[in-house]
Amino acid sequence: MTFINYVAHEINCKIVYYGPGLGGKTTNLKYVYGITSPENRGKMISLATETERTLFFDFLPIDLGQIRNYSTRFHLYTVPGQVFYDASRKLILRGVDGVVFVADSQEERLDANLESLSNLEQNLKEHGFDLNTIPYVLQLNKRDLPNIMPVEKLQKLLRVKGEPVFEAVATQGIGVLDTLKAITRQVLVALRKSA
Amino acid sequence: MNLSELLLQEPDYQRLRGVLAKTQRDLRAALVLLIDRGGHEIASEGKGLGTDHTALAALAAANLAATQELARLVGETEFSIIFHQGRCRSIHVSDVAKRFSLVVVFDDSISLGMVRWKVKRAAASLEEIFRGLLDRPRNATATTAATASPAHFTDAEIEKLMKHFAPKADKEGKV
Repeated sequence: MTFINYVAHEINCKIVYYGPGLGGKTTNLKYVYGITSPENRGKMISLATETERTLFFDFLPIDLGQIRNYSTRFHLYTVPGQVFYDASRKLILRGVDGVVFVADSQEERLDANLESLSNLEQNLKEHGFDLNTIPYVLQLNKRDLPNIMPVEKLQKLLRVKGEPVFEAVATQGIGVLDTLKAITRQVLVALRKSA
Repeated sequence: MNLSELLLQEPDYQRLRGVLAKTQRDLRAALVLLIDRGGHEIASEGKGLGTDHTALAALAAANLAATQELARLVGETEFSIIFHQGRCRSIHVSDVAKRFSLVVVFDDSISLGMVRWKVKRAAASLEEIFRGLLDRPRNATATTAATASPAHFTDAEIEKLMKHFAPKADKEGKV
């Protein structure tokens, strides 16, 4: 839920990167951290296992700049993708303003993508959100790998409601910033509508 | 209590800070931080030894959310308090009005009993302030310049913001 602090002149929003395990959610955040100037970002926190799999969440606060004399602060979170961490995933969605679904384009990960998408819809519902109305962007990641599915086919299977779709290679930063800008734009437009 | 229904004005903010300041003084706390359950900082008092408030707020909110789930799993409605004891410094996180949390960072010169007592009093004062905000008619607050929503921005303003953020070119990925 967007929090507008009228005294400190800040607009605070929460974006959650969702998707199957090892899909590149954390890599998206690491890239954003890398390209953002230090004065526009806070500390990146990763609650991960010893093998660097996300255990609870990654967190990165960024400042997009000023709009109407208000600082726009976006808190970026990832969820743990592994199926058995569902309780943790649900908690991270609390108060969410926008969701990026990071899909793994590899053929063998299609079922994992579909399962994660269904899980997202269910968990959003439990927080009183509707995937059909919440700001939402689909990212097709790992487009550099050899065994990927065609974009058209993935879109047909994973696109929910005509949301913006981005091809990405998060390890190289391709499509990462486009994705982030698309979701922040949607969140701001949604905020305007609710004002 | 729904924060989206709250419109915090300067006098309200100062009252909140007043409660935090008193708690901070009474406990000689390094930091007293009021956050919402989404992990956003609302107000704070104390130097906090350079603590990163944003990170602390996000972690405390996640910690409290996880603790609530643990409570539910063992058949409790909630565990309303979290206490982490360190060698020199400790953290006390407690619920305020089921929608906010009060985070207190204090040192070993203060007893836990004193912290719990002062935090309980602070929570009651904060709840009273929040209740007053909810009871206040919307039209009594919503039209002044200071509280006019900044969210009526134009498409051009949004695009300008996007253009200036991380101007280093991102390779095109749009399908």
